[in-house]
Amino acid sequence: MGRLDARAKIIGVVVFVTVAAMLTVTELIFAALALSVIFAAFSQVPARHLLKAYAGALPFILIASVSVFLFAGIDRGIGMWARTSACVIALLVLASATESLQLFAGLRRLGVPKIISTLLMLTYKYIVLMADELVRMKTARKARGFSGGRSLFDLRGLKIIGYTAGMVFVRASDRAEKGYEGLKMRGFNFDLKTWRQTRLAAADLAFIAWFAVVSGALITFQLGAFA
Amino acid sequence: MHIPDGLMDPMVSAIGWIEFMVVIAVALLISGKKFKEKDLPRIAVLSAGIFVAQMLNFPIGGGTTGHLVGAALFAIMAGPVIAMVGMTVILVIQALMFGDGGITAFGLNATNMAIIAPLTGWGVYTLVKPFLAGLKTETKHGKMNLGTAIAIGVGAWASVFVSASACAAEMAVSYAISGGAYGIAATVSIPAMLGYHVIIAIGEAMITVAVAAYVLSVSPNAFRSISEKNVAVPGLKGIMSSKIAHATVAVLIVFALALPLYFMYSSEGADGLEKTMEDAGVDEGDAVLTSPFEYGETYFAALFAGILGFVATALVGLGLMNIFKIGRAAE
Amino acid sequence: MSILEIDGLSFSYEDGTPAIEGISFKVESGEKVAIIGPNGAGKSTLFSLIAGFRTPFTGKVIVNGDALDDGSEDKVRRHLGMLFQDPDDQIFMPTVEEDVAFGPQNLALDDIQGRVMNALRSTGTEALAKRVPHRLSHGMKKRVAIAGVLAMEPAILLLDEPTSGLDPRARSDLIGLLNGMKRTMLMATHDLEAVADLADRVIVINRSIMFDGTLADLAHRKDMLEQAGIELPSLSKLFSRLKDMGYDFRHIPVSLDNATSETARVIDEMGRKRQGR
Repeated sequence: MGRLDARAKIIGVVVFVTVAAMLTVTELIFAALALSVIFAAFSQVPARHLLKAYAGALPFILIASVSVFLFAGIDRGIGMWARTSACVIALLVLASATESLQLFAGLRRLGVPKIISTLLMLTYKYIVLMADELVRMKTARKARGFSGGRSLFDLRGLKIIGYTAGMVFVRASDRAEKGYEGLKMRGFNFDLKTWRQTRLAAADLAFIAWFAVVSGALITFQLGAFA
Repeated sequence: MHIPDGLMDPMVSAIGWIEFMVVIAVALLISGKKFKEKDLPRIAVLSAGIFVAQMLNFPIGGGTTGHLVGAALFAIMAGPVIAMVGMTVILVIQALMFGDGGITAFGLNATNMAIIAPLTGWGVYTLVKPFLAGLKTETKHGKMNLGTAIAIGVGAWASVFVSASACAAEMAVSYAISGGAYGIAATVSIPAMLGYHVIIAIGEAMITVAVAAYVLSVSPNAFRSISEKNVAVPGLKGIMSSKIAHATVAVLIVFALALPLYFMYSSEGADGLEKTMEDAGVDEGDAVLTSPFEYGETYFAALFAGILGFVATALVGLGLMNIFKIGRAAE
Repeated sequence: MSILEIDGLSFSYEDGTPAIEGISFKVESGEKVAIIGPNGAGKSTLFSLIAGFRTPFTGKVIVNGDALDDGSEDKVRRHLGMLFQDPDDQIFMPTVEEDVAFGPQNLALDDIQGRVMNALRSTGTEALAKRVPHRLSHGMKKRVAIAGVLAMEPAILLLDEPTSGLDPRARSDLIGLLNGMKRTMLMATHDLEAVADLADRVIVINRSIMFDGTLADLAHRKDMLEQAGIELPSLSKLFSRLKDMGYDFRHIPVSLDNATSETARVIDEMGRKRQGR
């Protein structure tokens, strides 16, 4: 999975998720969920990592499922859970099994405008840097006895949190100019090109074909159910 | 507020995509801000800053925490167009790098958080600020007066509340037009989303004010748009190019974005719901709560539309009053 | 022809405060020049100016035969390699080798593979090729940044505080690395010990040029040192004090080598005097 061309992964998962999101027939939804889980199993992404990320999306999924269950019946409630889960799992596998640069370069090669791919690349770089800074600031805050505030009425706590965020911004704006100079000194013309470019190989085409076939089958049955 | 794939009716998702693409394209076109190379690192560091600020939790009470959305902060600091582009980039990274959000749902998520949230935050801030300009107090930092602080707070609050409302409405419409296969019934989605975000938005407001105060006192030139003065250009041109006029348009856009959903709902909602459920062969006997609250659907939908409509009208009114004032002053 | 010519260069900030005024100097190919001066003296501004990031300026900047003006910035930058004080300002890609390839790729240079390999080898970072630069130590990040610069084969290196923030080991490794490179270099620094090891020539600026010569000459100019807020290496301070106490040092040594020979000479002389008595 990690070896595949990012473009193949993006196309395959986008097609699958788009189709899965349109399914309403319970059997088909479960087929999609099963496919998603199989995809996850083959992806070599650690199960723990996927479960943790899935747990993050769970509140929304559960509220939706339970509410649909209460108002429109058990079938639809379970359908809602299975459908959203199928989509979320497939997307999580794409996110976890694709290296950031490959993903952004893949999007660029799929025709995403260069302003977007460049912004993605740069933003991601600065997120990594600034997340580190934030952790250091949080540690410093803790070392000086601040534990995160108590409630919305804890004005001082909120102010400190606001100042921490403010500090992130001031450092950020200081960085912007140097970042521009850094890019220009290295000949960047604001179009992201990677050095090691992968080519679409047989495995990539097989990957896309597999998702095209299963997605095609699912949507055919879905539409057939109404005919 | 990141909607995952498969939750919303495909029709609603498609509308979200269309609305997002149209608004972002038009915004880039009209503002004439064909971004210069030099702007890109700046947008990137600001976006990264907002992304990281979203990782900061704030306490709500009782051990629960919320986190910043940051769209209003972004728009107030860097202007609405940059904020829209930057928030879009943040959402793409969240969806594709962290699986937070979705692909089919991206249009809706982007409409809510990258269009409605920054436009509302900036629009409300800009429209409310002139009325509070008289409020001046000696603050410790001496840079931001009370009026500005309140305007920022109100803008940030409105930004979260209105975008959460949009999210709730999208879920309600999805539920109604799909006969219960997608979305969340208005009876649940509207009170739950709005109730929760009324509170969360307070935290957003307070943090946004604190961040803005800090930035202004430490590095006032870092973000020009806060300290920018309205330059008086005479005549109609002056009115059209004034920030007040832009802010009024921003509020109108936000309101216009709700219209397609409203029409879908009114043509297929309420009565349509029962009909589609029958068509789809859903036996109401399956449901634990059949036919919620008799008039629940329409009641909540009407209440919700009423609140939003009132706020939007009031804001546009404020904007128009100001525009006339500018017009008169110019003559 | 000099590889870098600067003539009557002046620049003021937007608010009108002059940053640098009437700076002129020439650098010959292969020369290693240290630019020193107190904080805010305009060292970084000078580098930014040379690289075409500060406009409008008055005066002339000619890099490798190309004059800097409106429109020639990219051409001039092609001759320059800048090492930023904070390597995070110039590292963009998520793996070391991709980052080293970044510049050549942007400029569509030939033989990227060879360039990357050479740059990694000459900075001793081959083993890091697949690593994530963000997780490296500060010293290693600097090396990766230098590799990225070398892969573009610039005619002149501009080093902004190259030794700042490095631990002693990483610092001496870096000095060794820079010393081994036969390239024209301009380095802005506070680290006079590094200057003693690296530079052929020293230019002191405090908005305008205060001194242009060798470090050994500069060491005698106490007024200049004080005015420019420069601290000599402690080795030189020791000799300066001894000289004040009447010991017959002909010059104040700035590096260990000439300190050793100068001390040996003075000791020999004193021994001879004593025998002669």
